Amino acid sequence: MRWRWLISFKAICTLLPTSVLAEAAVEGQVELPKSHSAPVMAKRYEIVTSGGVLATQPPLAVVFLDGRFAKPSSPPTKQIAQKDLAFVPPLLPVQVGTRVEFPNLDDIYHNIFSYSPAKRFDLGRYRPDERPIPSEVFDKPGLVTLRCDIHEHMRGLILVLDSPYYVMTDAEGRFRLRGLPSGHYALKAWVNSKTTRERPVDLKDGATLHVDFP
Amino acid sequence: MSFRTKLLVAIMLVVSAVTALGLYLAQRNVAANVERDLQQNFQTEVSALYKVQELRRAALEERCRELVAKPRIHAALEDNALDLLYPSAKDELRDLMEGEEPAPQQAARSLHARFYRFLDSTGAVLAPPNARDVGQLSSQAEAQLALKKLPETPQIGYISERADTAGEGADEVMAVPIFSTETGEVISALVVGFKPLELISRRIGAGIKSGIWANGRLHLPSLPQSAQTALAAEIADAVARSDRAQNSLVVAVNGAPHLLFYRRSNPNSLFPPAYEICVYPLADSIARQHRLRWQVGSAGALLLLGGFLASQFVAARFSVPVEKLAVDSEKNRAQRKRAEAALASTSQELERSTRYSADASHQLKSPVTMLRAGIETLLAREDFKPEVYDELSSLLHQTYRLTGVIDDLLLLSRMDAGHLRIGARPVNLSELIDEWLDDLGALPDSLEVKIEKQFPADLHIAGEKQYTSLIVQNLLENARQYNRPGGRIQVAASKANDQVVLNIGNTGPPIAASAQEHLFKRFQRGPTGTAVSGHGLGLNLARELARLHGGDLRLVRSNDDWTEFEVWFRVARPAPKTAG
Repeated sequence: MRWRWLISFKAICTLLPTSVLAEAAVEGQVELPKSHSAPVMAKRYEIVTSGGVLATQPPLAVVFLDGRFAKPSSPPTKQIAQKDLAFVPPLLPVQVGTRVEFPNLDDIYHNIFSYSPAKRFDLGRYRPDERPIPSEVFDKPGLVTLRCDIHEHMRGLILVLDSPYYVMTDAEGRFRLRGLPSGHYALKAWVNSKTTRERPVDLKDGATLHVDFP
Repeated sequence: MSFRTKLLVAIMLVVSAVTALGLYLAQRNVAANVERDLQQNFQTEVSALYKVQELRRAALEERCRELVAKPRIHAALEDNALDLLYPSAKDELRDLMEGEEPAPQQAARSLHARFYRFLDSTGAVLAPPNARDVGQLSSQAEAQLALKKLPETPQIGYISERADTAGEGADEVMAVPIFSTETGEVISALVVGFKPLELISRRIGAGIKSGIWANGRLHLPSLPQSAQTALAAEIADAVARSDRAQNSLVVAVNGAPHLLFYRRSNPNSLFPPAYEICVYPLADSIARQHRLRWQVGSAGALLLLGGFLASQFVAARFSVPVEKLAVDSEKNRAQRKRAEAALASTSQELERSTRYSADASHQLKSPVTMLRAGIETLLAREDFKPEVYDELSSLLHQTYRLTGVIDDLLLLSRMDAGHLRIGARPVNLSELIDEWLDDLGALPDSLEVKIEKQFPADLHIAGEKQYTSLIVQNLLENARQYNRPGGRIQVAASKANDQVVLNIGNTGPPIAASAQEHLFKRFQRGPTGTAVSGHGLGLNLARELARLHGGDLRLVRSNDDWTEFEVWFRVARPAPKTAG
């Protein structure tokens, strides 16, 4: 679970200049669907489909502040690896304009593609030693379903957001968003491909708001 | 008609009947065999066709399932990217469409598709952006691919390129459902069209023609258009009448009889019902049947000819001994007739002679009786001299003797004519002898003869008392007549086994040796001359009667003042015990 801390850290770093000036924060809990599978410890996260709904298993949610925010001048680069015939991480929230690299950490070919309206691309087949690492820039908000043409069971999700203010909950659904601008926004919690909960929030500098998504 | 001809005709009749029966059975067999062969061949071919077809369908189905599981096709369908469906399929289903269309002979082994289309969630055809990539189809044909709803299982159907004409080759289509990997529901279907399998019959040559009947149209390219149209109507009729999935009927194609077999090709399909049609010309089989009939017929004729020849031979061989037999029996018959005729004349003569002697005896008896009556009348008179009475007495005695001779003659003539039957009743011989000895003793006789009796009482023999008595009387009278004064008569009888032997001996001058051999002939008399009464019939009569009793009479000896006769009788069977 190191990657999660890494993401949080990076997020905090990018938000640092504004957060010094005005620092609003939100914390709370998203009520996650009950997980029917084995305990988290022994289990890795994956994307499952159930009744046409894509979600992570065990469940995780992405909490983000909706609204129009300036695009970053130099798009950050993120990674989704293919390891042991799975996408790692299986769910990646990114801001629009982010370049995502798809390193192949298996010893076999993979062929990442997506037919999602938010981003259609096809990286073709490549092996681990492919350089540069095949990557795509995600410049349209929306949910992108990643597939592998060779391994039909592989699924990955990239949640492309307009907002730079987003965070993934922990396994219990707890979250904390800091360095938010003050103002009136909608705070959203993406739970799965069909469910995004929403709460209006009034953010004030220096104040920490508690919001739960039941 | 000679025996030989009769035999020949009989054998020929039998041979003809057997041959006719054989021919009839063979014909029936031939007909049944040809039909069975035909049915078997046909069924074999048809089931072979179905096997191949099933295999091909299974292979195609498997192939299609594999293809529609491709992530890109699923991505296009599930990720709302229908515009990418056909472009993706173009790559993914390339090997389905690639390459040259195979020759009809290889069609069975080929999974080459003529075209494919996807159906949307309502079962309507998703129009391809570029028909060239997915196989050209007329709009009419494409419309036939649509289904009322998406199927859960692969469906088989048939479409024709042009809906309005018969005879065009139909396309077999298979609709394979595509299940969403996300919802598990059927989200689309891949419809693949390919050339239907045509049976290429190797064993029956160009025998079976196969085709498809669907939507009221027959697609049987090897038949002319008009024939197809006519057949289609007949099949439609047959299908409408029978709810069976398969059936066969005899139809006329261009005036020639054909066996038509149809079988539902796509049971339970969402596509309109289609039937596989196999047409088999019966002309060949009928010709074969004719040929076989001829063969059987000529074989029968040969057989008949052989049979006739054989019967000729057999008749000739068998008739020889029979004819010989017939000739022999003819000879025998003639001989027998001759013998019978001889016998008849002999017996007639015999009868005549016996009747003559009988008549003679009767004719003699009455004058003797009248003679005796006259003499007795004369004797009754008292006016004759005493020597006249002596003479009359002597004459009277002679009439009695004459009567005895006549009686004996009568009896003999009866025996000769075979009219005398001797019964087999028990006769008490001892008693009979005693009676006669008593009579003998009572005779007025000058000879002093001593009588010796050596026989047990109650010695029974089988016979008839009247005639047994005659034998005993004859022998005893002889023994007395030919005796000498002061002589003796010995009567001895005993039982030995089943015979009774009676010996009667007497003293007196013996019979001359020369006379002995004629002793038992009629009218032979002892050497003593006429001094002794008798007429020379007695011994003959006694012997004849003894023989009729089942016994015999013979002279034992006649010499040294002793003459002895021996007579046998059969012992009487024990008299049935009287009641009580």
